Amino acid sequence: MAVKPKVAFFDFAGCEGDQLQVANLEERLLDILAHIEVVSFREIKTEHSDDYDIAFVEGSITRPEDEKRLKEIRENAGILVALGACATIGGINCLKNFINESEYRSTVYGSSARWYSTYASRPLSAVVPVDMDIHGCPIDKNEFATAVKELLLGKIYTPPDYPVCAECKMAGNICRYEQGQLCLGIVTRAGCKACCVTEGSFCWGCRGMAPEANLDAAARIMEDHGFTRLNAQDRLRLYFGCTDRAFNPG
Amino acid sequence: MVAYIVYLQQIPELLHKWSSSYDVYVPTRVEEHFYEFRPWQEKTHIAWDYDLAYSPLKVFFMPPREDLIHFDLHNYTASPVIKKTRQLLFGVHPYDIKAINQLDQLMGMDGVDVNYQNLRDNTVIFGLEPARVAETAFWAGVDAARVDFGFDLFWTRISPGAFLVRVGSAQGEEMLKMGSSITSATAAEKEAARRIHLRAAARADKQGLGFTWTQVPEFMNKFYSRKLYWREKAKTCLSCGSCNLVCPTCYCFDIQDETDDHLKQGKRYRQWDGCMLEGFSRIAGGLNFRPNPWERYRHRYMRKGKYIFDRIGELGCVGCGRCVKACTAKIANPKVVFSEIREAIKNEA
Amino acid sequence: MKPDFSPYVPRPATLVAKNTLSEYVTLFEFAQDSGKTLAHRPGQFIQVSIYGVGEAPFSVSSPPQSDHHHFELAVRRTGSVTNALHNLQTGSKVGIRGPYGSYFPMQKFVGQDLLFAAGGLGYIPIRSVLYYMLRHREEYGDIILLVGTRHPRERIFTDQLEEISRRSDVHVLETVDVPDESWQGNVGVITTLFPKIRINPENTNVAMIGPPVMYRFVIDECAKLGIPQERIYVSLERRMKCGLGKCGHCQINGINCCTDGPVFCYTKIANLPEAF
Ligand SMILES: Cc1cc2nc3c(=O)[nH]c(=O)nc-3n(C[C@H](O)[C@H](O)[C@H](O)COP(=O)(O)OP(=O)(O)OC[C@H]3O[C@@H](n4cnc5c(N)ncnc54)[C@H](O)[C@@H]3O)c2cc1C
Ligand code: SF4
Ligand code: SF4
Ligand code: SF4
Ligand code: SF4
Ligand code: SF4
Ligand code: FES
Repeated sequence: MAVKPKVAFFDFAGCEGDQLQVANLEERLLDILAHIEVVSFREIKTEHSDDYDIAFVEGSITRPEDEKRLKEIRENAGILVALGACATIGGINCLKNFINESEYRSTVYGSSARWYSTYASRPLSAVVPVDMDIHGCPIDKNEFATAVKELLLGKIYTPPDYPVCAECKMAGNICRYEQGQLCLGIVTRAGCKACCVTEGSFCWGCRGMAPEANLDAAARIMEDHGFTRLNAQDRLRLYFGCTDRAFNPG
Repeated sequence: MVAYIVYLQQIPELLHKWSSSYDVYVPTRVEEHFYEFRPWQEKTHIAWDYDLAYSPLKVFFMPPREDLIHFDLHNYTASPVIKKTRQLLFGVHPYDIKAINQLDQLMGMDGVDVNYQNLRDNTVIFGLEPARVAETAFWAGVDAARVDFGFDLFWTRISPGAFLVRVGSAQGEEMLKMGSSITSATAAEKEAARRIHLRAAARADKQGLGFTWTQVPEFMNKFYSRKLYWREKAKTCLSCGSCNLVCPTCYCFDIQDETDDHLKQGKRYRQWDGCMLEGFSRIAGGLNFRPNPWERYRHRYMRKGKYIFDRIGELGCVGCGRCVKACTAKIANPKVVFSEIREAIKNEA
Repeated sequence: MKPDFSPYVPRPATLVAKNTLSEYVTLFEFAQDSGKTLAHRPGQFIQVSIYGVGEAPFSVSSPPQSDHHHFELAVRRTGSVTNALHNLQTGSKVGIRGPYGSYFPMQKFVGQDLLFAAGGLGYIPIRSVLYYMLRHREEYGDIILLVGTRHPRERIFTDQLEEISRRSDVHVLETVDVPDESWQGNVGVITTLFPKIRINPENTNVAMIGPPVMYRFVIDECAKLGIPQERIYVSLERRMKCGLGKCGHCQINGINCCTDGPVFCYTKIANLPEAF
């Protein structure tokens, strides 16, 4: 690698948990950083520069001002990477899409609500073309490392497009449905190695809907396993909020 | 037939001896109604009466993820990675032995798969007569209630405290004789084991196909073009691949690269894949040869009921019932598919 | 102890030349580092590795060479591996496995005529067969080459095709689906060339490779000309990972494209619904 690519990190509406995951790579981060030049990264440095090749963008777009800033980033960056659920699928911020507007504005901004402009939360791809998605809430630091290494080798990392169940089987987990629990792995994009199930929980759907997810089937399966339509809907809306198909499953 | 008698209290001593040269795995209960093969340790409680190991035993010969080569990005050399772990699987049911026999054949065709072969060659298999039949199983109906080869020893519990152990290989016999005072079985004991097998088979038969499995390939062939049937069956398919991945006779895989953080060296690994997953037969440019869930669903049953038969003369399904359990949509079920198709063809005739 | 052998271990090869064929397609000339010839047969493919990026199958486009260890691939830039290949400088290394798969039965063709139908990138493997025949020209009868391309700017090997078409012992016919101002030749899909050719159905073999939609139509044309199915050969593309008949990705109904194919006699796949 003759010239090190310049990398910048940006954040919109989100908790910066994904950048924290990147910082969590610790000594591995140093090895990877040896191949790139970070020109902007709030978690680990204070300076900022507009001269970069790769932009990692975290957070979802919730205000018209965000759109403008994101478009500028898109202009500057050769490769734009969406980092984390908020950026890739709108994330948890989309929950507010189900509450009526004045209600969430006053919840979030209190009495000064009318001074702020905000609209339905959306992923970066709703505003600009995105070259690469790193899913998850938060992202998996190992997947981030893989994606960066592949970028350095000239490859655009593509996450799996099948449901979490496939990875859950590879992990050898007993299916939550067989234990009488609800799990969104059946419709969620894999790539996390079904970590939540492996660790004893269930899949919350944080990596967003698998591209070919069969939501009708999922709704029926949940009902057949004794869950109400409302149970299912609540679960689906947590992360699938920006997906029209999730508004009314089944 | 050479056979010995082993008493329950002799087994710990044997396990101790075996575990000094093998990684020993035995069936254990992991939670209520769920069993898995787990490493044997002093305190392990062996579930002699387990009905089905939740995970397929192919994990021992074809792990979900397995390195194939190590490579160097700078000088472009590569070297093979081949595992030769010595393993003993103690307590394998006949249908699972049949599945392993089938993999042996398929992985040996058109050139041997060295990664599979090396693990297989270093694995000793002790079979066990099933004491119970899993609710979803139908192995008696697909010629998998009994196996004649593929085991080093075969154990049948002929009384609460004793096993009749049939010899399947010289290595098995040698390992058995590591125990002190192992005696040969008498004719009466052999007869007892035979009767126990017959009783087990009769129990299992109640969950068979209800017709002879040899008819299946022809039915499947006839029903290939019945799109309506396949569409209807696969309507709630999630394309999740669970049915493939838990199947002891499925062996498909993907291959990918991973480099170290210095971008100097790396490994190429294979990882389980399955024909039910949407991108399985998609090529660069986006063309997909089985774009619809029903086409993939049909392909899987054609594999189980016809294509594998065309290659090796037996069904690609050993009736373990794992896919039936694993499918959250409750549509993966070779027994139901084979039976429905047979009914439909009978009614048309 | 004998060192482990694994069919998954590639051999190193070095990129010796790169030639642009069209906007997306480049011709790569490689040399095996072992100094040995590739020993492929026309129609076979190899697996090419760019370590860290992955592996992809490509037909060998050059004819078999007995005298040197170079070989050629023509590659269309479409994804990870093909992009990485295009970014290589001469002198760079790749890993190769193979050659794999079935091939065109050159011995069977001896003394007979050959009709080639190449759609788009299908010319890449056809080229291996064609140049092999040209090298042993006296062993074969008439050679007709039909080439169809979507658009004039997507034509590949234009200079070489020009050269071949000047030969008196090969009949070359080209067409494009969508012409531009510069295009003087035939317009229409490849089947529109069939009325323009004369063949002896008793003695003609067909080798066709192209996009999936092409096959049925060309096979119909061959049938109209009276060419029996057992003398029609096709090469099919599928997703391939192992190239060894193991990974399952290349299945066409019950057969594996990588080991049973990629070159098939039409009779072998005529009854496979998934073939085309
Ligand atoms: C026998 C044979 C001969 C061939 N000969 C030639 C030739 O001579 N010249 C030529 O240019 N091409 C040839 N091809 C096609 C060539 O192999 C593909 O273009 C190549 O594999 C693309 O690899 P890639 O990494 O660049 O593409 P990518 O798109 O990055 O594909 C990488 C892998 O992922 C798969 N894939 C593609 N899209 C997706 C997706 N959306 N999601 C998940 N997985 C995906 C692909 O199937 C591939 O295995 C041949 C193919 C075969 C089977
Ligand atoms: S636990 Fe969840 S992710 Fe795992 S197989 Fe069951 S539904 Fe799928
Ligand atoms: S299991 Fe589900 S919730 Fe957990 S990381 Fe994976 S996609 Fe996210
Ligand atoms: S198809 Fe189902 S029942 Fe048959 S062997 Fe596979 S997992 Fe078992
Ligand atoms: S059923 Fe599908 S996944 Fe299983 S071996 Fe056959 S093709 Fe592979
Ligand atoms: S049949 Fe069931 S287990 Fe198989 S892919 Fe479809 S939903 Fe998943
Ligand atoms: S490419 Fe793996 S089986 Fe054909």
